[in-house]
Amino acid sequence: MPSVCFYFEVHQPMRLNRFSVFHIGKNIHPMNYFNQTLNKNIFEKVANKCYLPTNNLLLKLIDQYKGEFKVSFSLTGTFVEYCQQYMPSLIESFQQLFSTGSVDLIEETYFHSLASLYDELDEFEEQVLMHREMIKQLFNYRPMVFRNTEAIYDNRIARKVADMGYKGIITEGTEKILGWKSPNYLYKPINANIKVLLRNYTLSDDIGFRFSAQGWVGFPLTADKYAKWMANTPGDIINLFMDYETFGEHHWPETGIFDFLEHLPEEVFKHENLEFITVSEAVKRYEPVGEIDVPWAISWADEQRDVSTWLGNEMQHACFRELQDIGKKLKEKGDRDLLNIWRKLQTSDHLYYISTKGFEDGAVHQYFSPYDDPYDGFINYMNILQDFKQQLIQ
Amino acid sequence: MKVAMIGWEYPPFKAGGLATHCLGLTSSLADKNILVDFYMPKTKHRVYNNKGNLRIIEVGETEIYPYDRPDEKDLSGAFFESVYKYNNLVVQKVSRKHDIVKYDLIHVHDWLTMKAGIALKEKLGIPLIVSIHSTEYDRSGWLYPNQWFIDIEREGMEKADLIITVSHFTKRTIVEKYGINPDKIRVIHNAVYPLGEGEKKNLVLFLGRLTIQKGAEFFLKAAKKVLEYENTKFVVAGTGDMFHRLVDTAVHLGIANNVIFTGRLTDEEVRHIYQIASVYVMPSVSEPFGITALEAASAGTPTIVSKTAGVAEAFKNCLKVDFWDVDEMANKIISLLRYDALRNTLAKEGKREIMLFTWDRVADKTIEVYREVV
Repeated sequence: MPSVCFYFEVHQPMRLNRFSVFHIGKNIHPMNYFNQTLNKNIFEKVANKCYLPTNNLLLKLIDQYKGEFKVSFSLTGTFVEYCQQYMPSLIESFQQLFSTGSVDLIEETYFHSLASLYDELDEFEEQVLMHREMIKQLFNYRPMVFRNTEAIYDNRIARKVADMGYKGIITEGTEKILGWKSPNYLYKPINANIKVLLRNYTLSDDIGFRFSAQGWVGFPLTADKYAKWMANTPGDIINLFMDYETFGEHHWPETGIFDFLEHLPEEVFKHENLEFITVSEAVKRYEPVGEIDVPWAISWADEQRDVSTWLGNEMQHACFRELQDIGKKLKEKGDRDLLNIWRKLQTSDHLYYISTKGFEDGAVHQYFSPYDDPYDGFINYMNILQDFKQQLIQ
Repeated sequence: MKVAMIGWEYPPFKAGGLATHCLGLTSSLADKNILVDFYMPKTKHRVYNNKGNLRIIEVGETEIYPYDRPDEKDLSGAFFESVYKYNNLVVQKVSRKHDIVKYDLIHVHDWLTMKAGIALKEKLGIPLIVSIHSTEYDRSGWLYPNQWFIDIEREGMEKADLIITVSHFTKRTIVEKYGINPDKIRVIHNAVYPLGEGEKKNLVLFLGRLTIQKGAEFFLKAAKKVLEYENTKFVVAGTGDMFHRLVDTAVHLGIANNVIFTGRLTDEEVRHIYQIASVYVMPSVSEPFGITALEAASAGTPTIVSKTAGVAEAFKNCLKVDFWDVDEMANKIISLLRYDALRNTLAKEGKREIMLFTWDRVADKTIEVYREVV
């Protein structure tokens, strides 16, 4: 009997101000690297379109189905900081959801960064511990399951996360690592003792990407149709992982996305073999059916399902190197304020905007980017890194 | 299919992108078994052609660069006289040929040849295609456009069975300023014969006619700003009615030591300078397309173009600025000079994307347009 495991990623990056070469070395306070106005506007817009209405709907559904409807969340540190700054009621709303007992929380790096790909994993560990501390403070909870930024995963990351005490880790159910095997079971890394949950990307993207695509054969996607698809899916668990912004932001209310979500539990419960489950319950209940070996990093992004989304061209590599170099200098210096700025600059979105991937994914990249094109993104980000480096030396 | 195409320039006689376009288009059409008679004014240069399906037919004589802005005093003088003369001669010549060849359609380029196109359509009763590579609004930089040109352009567009523009930008212009029905306009972006890469030198290049349209003064103002931060050379290649004013500007800005004015370059020199430039800037005030940006990119030279230029609609791997925003232009030039990764990525991705801009594709799309009227 496959369990349906819904998990939502909730993240907002700290977008940057326009920063030209002429700003470098002008002693601009590093807090002004970030575009407060733009960030506040986007955050409030998405909160009103997505976070608040979806939270309310989920709360209603959990109540309506007496806790049998379950979801899991991962909230990034930058997202939580926005809440604290601009909309504390949103944090309360998540706390209320968590207190139902039907909502689970997932760990990740506080800054939604690529620290897991650095030469050393010390910075990665620190950012995970920061997130752990944040979740403890807000929810008095210690997550059992870890999901790295954009589901980036390889053997090294798996072992580190296992060493840090987590029972489960989430990544993409791509054929690249599975071959003929099904994503609808738990697996175990060849080199570590932890359970791997794999995203069923077909069913996840049916909602996340294709829900409002009129040219798609599954259009229009209704809750009963979708529940039938899941009921006919063999396996222990169906992992439906997606951006939380899917609801009301990527797909506007007019597309019927909220109606879909509202009716989904009802339709799922019509099938005796389906139920909802949280990520912690999943790793408690199910055992791995096989091993996976992932020597090179995968992710859930773009067609390639690798890290080329953030490290696909020379510009991205140059910025990534600068970031790491700055880190080494910073840690010698030990300035907490600057360390915090550096970490905000590590958010993976900054590198995402610089991707020059092909035209198909390019459209998706463009949708999320505050820049006209990746070259503008590079110039702006690199100028800021150069300025930051100079401020470090002073 | 047999086409009487009437033009003004054809390599090696070349005042602008029109010559490049006519060469690429006619050669690729000939390769696709379209018979093209290309009519043009006789020049001092010899025109080479080795295509069986293509004949270059020279008519009359001229040495006029029609894209220079004529001074007031020229307006009633030799300039227009020679345009009229050429158009009349073309009408006679094409009519005579038509008796033997039986053309399927007439295809003319820009205002220079529109009078002939209109007359021939009426006389021979065959369809007329008009290609618009630039309008009077572009050439005047939208400052004091001359009504005389506008009237000819409008008449030609109105009489045309279908119109080809080199960009959506130009399509918008002729819908909004000339009141042309958008349904009869087809957009076909230009193409390029790739130049190949050379060894890069520390220089930033402007190349184009030195007219108000091309915005060279913004290039100089950005150069001034760049030179406060970086040591590099700026090259202004080309000639035109603003040449002296631009030299004065460079002197006034105090950057004359770092700016080289080359004057008119030969084809070989043009190719060379594209290849050795580290950055190419096309700050046009109004640019229907801008083939030069593709030429530079095909030589592995990172390119900065005006946001509104037609090429910016179609070519992704270039930097885009507002032509008047010299601070941002300078920011981008400096970034290109400083950041190897930016230069390398633009060069690499640009060269790859250039492969999509073939004259073969332009010819295919043009044939589709021909088929609509024949």
